[in-house]
Amino acid sequence: MNTRLKKYWYDTRQVKTFRNHHLHAAWFQILFSLLVLSLLIVSGCSRKNDGRIRITIWHQDRPDVRDVLQKQLDRFMVLHPEVKVEQLFKETEELRSGFIIAAIAGQGPEIVYGPSDQVGPFQVMNIILPLDSLFDKKFTDQLDPKALTYYKGHLYKISDKLGNHLTLVYNKKFIKNPPKTDKELIDVATSLTKDTNGDGKIDQYGIAWNYTEPFFFIPFMTGFGGWIMDENYQPTLNTVGTVNGLKFVRDLRDKYKVIPNEADYNIADALFKDGHAAMIINGDWSWAGYQKAGLDIGVAPLPLITSTGLWCGTMVSPKGFSINSNITEEKKKWVIKLIEYLMSEENQLEATKTLYTMPTNKNVINSKFVQSNEILRNSQIQIEHGNPMPVVPELRAIWDAMRPSYQAVLAGSKSPEQAVTDMQMQAVQRIKEMNE
Amino acid sequence: MNQTLRQKIFIFFLVTPALIILLGVVVYPFVYNVIISLSNMNLRHIKDWEIVGFRNYVKVFTEPSQPDFYVIFIKTVIWTIVNLFFHVVIGVFLALVLNQKEIRGKGIFRTILVLPWAVPQLIVALTWRGMFNYEYGSINQILGKVGLPAVEWLRSPTEAFVAAIITNVWLGFPFMMVIALGALQSIPHDLYEAADIDGASWYHKLRTITLPLIKPVMVPAITLGTIWTFNNLNIIWLVSNAGEPSDSTHILVSFVYKAAFNFYRYGYGAALSMIIFFILLIFSVVFMRKTKVTEAVY
Amino acid sequence: MNKSRTKKLIRVTFSYIILIIFCIISIYPVSQVLTVSLRPADRLLSTSLEIIPDNATIANYINLFVKTDFLRWMWNSLLITASVTLTGVILAATAGYGFSRYKFVGKKAAMQSMLVTQMFPATMLLLPMYIMLVNLGLINSYLGIMIMYSATALPFCVWQMKGFYDTIPSSLEEAGRIDGCSQFQTFYLIVLPLAAPALVITALFSFMSSWTEYVVAAQILQDTAMWTLPIGLKSFESNMSTEWGLYGAASMLVTVPVVVLFLVLSKYLVSGLTLGSVKG
Repeated sequence: MNTRLKKYWYDTRQVKTFRNHHLHAAWFQILFSLLVLSLLIVSGCSRKNDGRIRITIWHQDRPDVRDVLQKQLDRFMVLHPEVKVEQLFKETEELRSGFIIAAIAGQGPEIVYGPSDQVGPFQVMNIILPLDSLFDKKFTDQLDPKALTYYKGHLYKISDKLGNHLTLVYNKKFIKNPPKTDKELIDVATSLTKDTNGDGKIDQYGIAWNYTEPFFFIPFMTGFGGWIMDENYQPTLNTVGTVNGLKFVRDLRDKYKVIPNEADYNIADALFKDGHAAMIINGDWSWAGYQKAGLDIGVAPLPLITSTGLWCGTMVSPKGFSINSNITEEKKKWVIKLIEYLMSEENQLEATKTLYTMPTNKNVINSKFVQSNEILRNSQIQIEHGNPMPVVPELRAIWDAMRPSYQAVLAGSKSPEQAVTDMQMQAVQRIKEMNE
Repeated sequence: MNQTLRQKIFIFFLVTPALIILLGVVVYPFVYNVIISLSNMNLRHIKDWEIVGFRNYVKVFTEPSQPDFYVIFIKTVIWTIVNLFFHVVIGVFLALVLNQKEIRGKGIFRTILVLPWAVPQLIVALTWRGMFNYEYGSINQILGKVGLPAVEWLRSPTEAFVAAIITNVWLGFPFMMVIALGALQSIPHDLYEAADIDGASWYHKLRTITLPLIKPVMVPAITLGTIWTFNNLNIIWLVSNAGEPSDSTHILVSFVYKAAFNFYRYGYGAALSMIIFFILLIFSVVFMRKTKVTEAVY
Repeated sequence: MNKSRTKKLIRVTFSYIILIIFCIISIYPVSQVLTVSLRPADRLLSTSLEIIPDNATIANYINLFVKTDFLRWMWNSLLITASVTLTGVILAATAGYGFSRYKFVGKKAAMQSMLVTQMFPATMLLLPMYIMLVNLGLINSYLGIMIMYSATALPFCVWQMKGFYDTIPSSLEEAGRIDGCSQFQTFYLIVLPLAAPALVITALFSFMSSWTEYVVAAQILQDTAMWTLPIGLKSFESNMSTEWGLYGAASMLVTVPVVVLFLVLSKYLVSGLTLGSVKG
């Protein structure tokens, strides 16, 4: 075959035809000059410096929160034209890892905004500043104590929102009075789980939620008297509370059959929005979206577990501001001014009114708006039932240890008793690995 | 003399620009990782790390992990081989079908077939996850219409793994198809004509003309495809919702990801990366030698 | 004669059936993305299987242009991607030729070391890459990102070009040299036009790799005005409350330039001045 080919290609007439294609050479030159040109453009449009002090905030908030923040930042920049503040959205994981990388390299945004669980690792790595001496007492005294996140005796985060908590959201089309206890929950859910079109398949469920995710299991764990760690940050997963919580969730699906066979966040969300689920367990971030989808929703505290007399409590985390330890002295004073501005009564009230988030300023919490709004009142009750989200880096190890065994129970491949033993063992091992 | 010097200068200008960019960007991160892999850089020693020797490497092989390192390794190999096999077979097959001169509307077919490559991966991967849903997903509904039983795609480990592979095959075949289409153009038609005169079967033509002649173009693509698939965390992560059920759908890189981002164990992560690196290096050296691709064909 | 005719008919029919089946497989998931983009109220999934959803709306597409910086991201991405594609194609076309045609010291090592850059899990490269770019003053600049992207795309491109050059008989160049072409002339007048399919593949690959890249861009670009499309798209996706409508709409629009580019280039991929079409 090789000789055939060679003979074929030796036909020099072919070569001559190719040589006439000077067009291709021209293309090559055009492309090359385009490349040089674009390099010139690009190097020319590096960051413009207009002499203003630049402050950047990294956060992981959803779009409607960004809009409110932008409004407030714009007002701040009108008050202080010498400062330019920019907000930058980062996805949760991206924010954490990106901030660590940037801060190790001596860079990064001046302010990081987010929930409590990022405070621990950032503090241990020494990449955020203690805030105790930066803000005066008069300012911090206006705030609910939950808004001040301390770790190892120092203040590391000041929050303008309380929340990140789960609640029971129900569709008022199906439910007038939301269930208050686990028994009522099962009754209501059973009566609403049905085959509406008679094809032998259930097409409306009593309740749905992202039940494969451990974060959404915490309410049942606490309801049956369990909690994830003790005051020395050691895991406490192998308790009767965890076992009973696991059994409860499993029974909802396998015994009472009131939740779908398979549900992650997006499936549960779709079921609820399409009216195929009467209730959903979801957080404060979701309410506005359900209203936008045209649902008449109610928000209620998660039920009381009758056998223990405990409420299903979720993890509550304030969301707030921490300051990068690489910050310059000059910027520091502007950053403090900015945080105090964003935390002010008017700004918190504005956020609360548009976003239904729970404020941290005592006056705003006690304001007529918050106290008379049904959703916010129930949200507040749920917050009172909840436990604060641990600040420590060990929390990561606990989630990671819980996930596989929790899902194995749901898949029927592990008994709840075995699962909690495994969870505990894994958590202990992971914490040891992390801290060596 | 003058001639060879000129040739040397010519080669120098051909090759060095690309090598400079590559080496400039790669050397520092690579050396950095080698050093970190020998250090104790982690949550407690993020800035004040020190060299501790091969401790991290030993840990990779001996530390009891859930799921087990060796099981994950085998899964990664299966993941890579199955994906690559279907990418290449479907890709080359479609290219051959499209390359027949009797087919009309080639442009339209080509463009549609390239869509899986063109659409942003995140949203299609999540769409696929939705399609695999037990009750509402379209795949089970189609199975039901054909009279087959519904499959619990996302609740059992094997099926979830298969679901991730199906998604990734879908995403990957157009790339191989495009490469194969390009490669087919380098085959002179008269070779087939000569073979036809000899009365060769299509299989014979495939074995003696088509495959050997597209090999130089396909082998680099297959090698790199293997390397990319081995390290491609995104799809399996999205389709299985970060390893569901019960962390049974991980591949080796997800250990690296978890070590670095969830547990801040940078030293360990770097050591594991080095091991992955050596696995792939050995693979590519052996594969390249077997296929003799660094040597010219003619 | 008649027998071979029926055979051909069968082959062609089967070919069409196969192509149509694969087209359906290719299109269906994409049509689901279209559905997401037309659905009101940000639903990624739905319990119904319709492609055009109830209350379909193009509001998401309008909002994309009115409420977000979509056009700016598109422009930024086009700028970066075009530069990376050009760099990739030019450097790969030349380097691949060098590797294909000449023997020199360290050739094998150089080719292998190019693959090395692809073997290391990207996760662990972020930190050193960032430190390096900080020291070079290239954080928050397009130049930094273009260098990183070119470096990631090059290994495949060079290998691809080298592999394709290998299929072009060197006797052609010898003939050209006899005719009096210089080394560079034989390269760009004779070999390069013949390598058009490989140039197309290289261009498509470079284009796609920088068009969709997210992780590196998110780490380097710290200014919303500099965001590229993938970062912009990602900003619709926040923890548990994603604007799926916008995301779907943007995904459909992001696909358009890729398809257009493919339509333009695929002409050179499969026809024109290529080895296969030359009659002896």
